[in-house]
Amino acid sequence: MNEMLSTLVFYVVAMAILATGMGVVMSNNLVHSALLMTACFISVGILFIWLNADFLGAMEFMLYSGGVAILVVMGVMLTKRQDGPPGNPFNHRKISAIGLVVLFALVMGTVIVSTPVSSGGYISLDTVDALAGMMLNTYILPFEIAATLLLAALLGAIILAKGDGEA
Amino acid sequence: MTIGLNHCLLLAAMLFAIGLYGVLSKRNIIAILMGVELMLNAVNINFVAFNRFTPVSDLTGQLMTVFAITVGVAEVAIGVALAYRIYNDRQTINVDELDNMKG
Repeated sequence: MNEMLSTLVFYVVAMAILATGMGVVMSNNLVHSALLMTACFISVGILFIWLNADFLGAMEFMLYSGGVAILVVMGVMLTKRQDGPPGNPFNHRKISAIGLVVLFALVMGTVIVSTPVSSGGYISLDTVDALAGMMLNTYILPFEIAATLLLAALLGAIILAKGDGEA
Repeated sequence: MTIGLNHCLLLAAMLFAIGLYGVLSKRNIIAILMGVELMLNAVNINFVAFNRFTPVSDLTGQLMTVFAITVGVAEVAIGVALAYRIYNDRQTINVDELDNMKG
């Protein structure tokens, strides 16, 4: 019973992720795309929690469906050209892109299905504690590099948006 | 039937394909950024699924996802700032019209 419920939850979340992802690409209105992208990020966060990664689920909710969604909506508003809803047109490579993407999905699907997977698994009941211990001991160098990257990205975004010579 | 590694990998591959289609077939820079975000999320699902379903002994996969999310968020901030800058200079963010390096 419990296993059946878990399977059902996975399929519902997977359907939500794929449907909202398709909506992001197919929608004719850029604001609708941004909203569906937020829904997709929330579904991915639920999938992380289903995979026993509860800290990552919380991070996904806060950073992606919070921060990134707001940034993208601001980007949509700041770059609107004419009155009316901001459009989301395809370019002339629409058909060849479909072919390429279907080819990619087929190759990836074949590889995934035909590769034998090792059984087993690892579940941590206290992901925050485990992640913090690893981040500040073994992986301290990537942690510091990520901190520097964030600082550089912040300064770069401010300087790019301000423009040279202004204010 | 139990959900295993293969199901998560297939889901991530499909999400990656959807994001790739968005990147390849859209005109608007912001729409292309959204496609890149979908692809990054697919990769994160892969990291977490491998950490959950393969015989490992710590949370390295989840820690890599933390760093991947950090890089992804920095990328969005820079991308939106660039789109705003390009729009300010040229009044368009259609990537097919942006073929001139000298502003």
